[in-house]
Amino acid sequence: MSIETLVKCEENQVFEQDGSLILDNQYVFIQLPSGNIKVVKLQKDTNVSLGKFGTFHSNGIIGRPFGHSYEIYDRDQVKVIKNVAFYEVDETDANNKEILDDPSKQKLSYQEIEKLKKQGLEGQDIIKKMVESHSAFDQKTEYSKAKYIKRKEAKFSRVFTPVKPTLYSVWEYFFSKNPGKIRDMRIDTLSQILSLANVRAYTKMLVVDDTQGLVVTGVMERLGGYGIVLGIHDSENHNYDIVRYMNFSKKIHDSLMTLSWQQVFKEMQVPFNYQDESTLSEKDLKYYLRRKTDYERIRDTREILWKGEFDGLIVASQYQPESILESLMPYLSGSRPIIIYHINKEVLINACVHMRISKKFLNPQITESWLRQYQVLPGRTHPSMSTSGGGGYLLHATHVIINDSLPTPIPSYMKQKDTLEGADKSSEYHNNNAINETNEKINLEQNVISENYLMNNEELQEVDNKKARLD
Amino acid sequence: MSFLRYKTLIEEGDLVIAYLSRENMTPLIVDSQKTYNNKFGTFKHKDMIGKEYGTKMPSHNGRGFMYLLHSTPELWTHVVPHRTQILYVADISYIITYLDLKPGSVVLESGTGSGSFSHSLARTIAPNGHLYTFEFHEERAKAVKKDFEEHGLSDLITVECRDVCKDGFGITGIVHAVFLDLPAPWEAIPAAKGAFKQNRIGKICCFSPCIEQVQRTCASLNENGFVEIKMYECLMREHDVKTIPIYTVADAINKIKIQQDKKRKRKDQNEQDDANSSKFKQDPPNLYVTKTPNEAKGHTSYLTFATFLPVLDDE
Repeated sequence: MSIETLVKCEENQVFEQDGSLILDNQYVFIQLPSGNIKVVKLQKDTNVSLGKFGTFHSNGIIGRPFGHSYEIYDRDQVKVIKNVAFYEVDETDANNKEILDDPSKQKLSYQEIEKLKKQGLEGQDIIKKMVESHSAFDQKTEYSKAKYIKRKEAKFSRVFTPVKPTLYSVWEYFFSKNPGKIRDMRIDTLSQILSLANVRAYTKMLVVDDTQGLVVTGVMERLGGYGIVLGIHDSENHNYDIVRYMNFSKKIHDSLMTLSWQQVFKEMQVPFNYQDESTLSEKDLKYYLRRKTDYERIRDTREILWKGEFDGLIVASQYQPESILESLMPYLSGSRPIIIYHINKEVLINACVHMRISKKFLNPQITESWLRQYQVLPGRTHPSMSTSGGGGYLLHATHVIINDSLPTPIPSYMKQKDTLEGADKSSEYHNNNAINETNEKINLEQNVISENYLMNNEELQEVDNKKARLD
Repeated sequence: MSFLRYKTLIEEGDLVIAYLSRENMTPLIVDSQKTYNNKFGTFKHKDMIGKEYGTKMPSHNGRGFMYLLHSTPELWTHVVPHRTQILYVADISYIITYLDLKPGSVVLESGTGSGSFSHSLARTIAPNGHLYTFEFHEERAKAVKKDFEEHGLSDLITVECRDVCKDGFGITGIVHAVFLDLPAPWEAIPAAKGAFKQNRIGKICCFSPCIEQVQRTCASLNENGFVEIKMYECLMREHDVKTIPIYTVADAINKIKIQQDKKRKRKDQNEQDDANSSKFKQDPPNLYVTKTPNEAKGHTSYLTFATFLPVLDDE
């Protein structure tokens, strides 16, 4: 197909509402002149208050595309203002030599500014007035003039920008407001989780999410309604608060299923007492039907979990990773990814050792993401002076299948160990004692061996060589 | 369709990634007539058929083994014939999130290079999105086109051999996101502007290794009306886990004592001391530690992002 015919197809194709319009009854993030972000559920025919920056009528932005900035005028009306990336700042001969920190340079007093505001003067005009009455403004360098105006804009401007809820903007809001709630997960780390877990349409993902639903949100978006995300949650009811801010369609919402840790295990099943609906009073029936729906949802979700064949396991939880693996690995297909997030590396180290001792994990490794933002301005390009100190760690591996009926080459030292200690090497992967055992038994010589334990051919050969040297 | 749908069992004609070690992987198209030989032994393709993906398969002579992995864009990045510099997972992941890609997104990419990033893009925008990718090197364009066909991605990806800096993209008003990995992205930015769907917000990413390129790119993005111009660097660092023994000062003293004992033994030729000297030797406690590799990736490229603003009715 040529590009031209494809273009025609695209034009005729009606896309689902892709979230590019500001709509009634949907969440929107509003960036304020101060740089802060406010989250609003827009309702038509209402006023939206932005605190000291003013109030606007919601109909002014509903139906418009995301992207533009708006200035409030005439009390609650809005107009689109030209959004500019950056102004070219030319350096002049002015320098900081004569600049003293002296508030008296600004002739306008606080009271006078308030009076101007009452007279109905708008943001930009106030800033203009302030620049005019600043006695030393011309002595400033062009850079500090720009800085001064920017600082005043943050205070007096009435320009706001509705921000489209995307995984990035939703993350940004929660990360800046309360990073602990999302377990300090940075967006680059979250992005890596979604890539490494190969999340895409037509997959069945198992997610253990204690990040207010941030990870589940990312997975749901990448599934796009084609697939299943089964969230295993803490407490009795899930707390995936973040999901709702994305304005997902019903189709995408329907891809989310949830179970509590208690509901994961078969022995915890409480049978439902089915009753004859015609014998119940109206009030009782309502209650009965709700309980029945709940019971059936949980029953069906459990069936889906126990059937297994999941395409990936993502963990971002406060609970011990080894115990989570023990509970959920049986439901994962072969050659599928396992990704465990934690803000504390130490938690992942133990889990990594557990994975190496088990035979079911190929190439477990711990990685850390590093992100740095730069200021790029003509003549003033440099990395940001302060940045996030860490975005958490990932432990990732691939689920592999060892068929014990096939002969597998066992290195000589392993055979020896088997006969000496009678260790059952074919036991289940979740051998809780394995870690303790190794802890106790490892000595200087065995160190080299244990860490490379069943890794791969090349490393095994190398280990054999090392072993030979040690002997 | 193995890049777009997972399979459980290996069948004739499947693309399997043969994993020998972290540094040694090979793509195989399963053909029951064929045999795969490597330094770990002989592996018959017909033995793979019917096995579950992820199976550890011993070689025919039992000398070694390999894992039969399902293809993913990440694994493909490892095994892709390196026709050009490839993108790394840290960059790929961050770009995909920042460009707000998801099923249904329409994306423009230039240049295609080895097609490694195209696989990641196609994975994310499937099943109803589309990727238009442009490569000015004719041989490379042909090679990736063949890869996309073999990997069942032809319906999702349109490849064209084209010098976009000179001739533009030939598409207008349809894409949601643009990715430019070109030596001079600023030459393609005006055309990229036209390729965006004009009535909605869009995102662009320019991928350049040098800071001078970034500065020219930012200036061009600014001139062309893009806003929220932001630049990042993203890297991934490994932490290797191992155990180390933690010796104490007492161990150090013991070690000297043992050495002295040995010397004395040699002098005295007295073997009765043997039992006494060995009792000092004790296993030290071990500690799990991590270490970053001595050499790691220090720079891949700078990622410059910007936002395309929807065109207003009066513009």
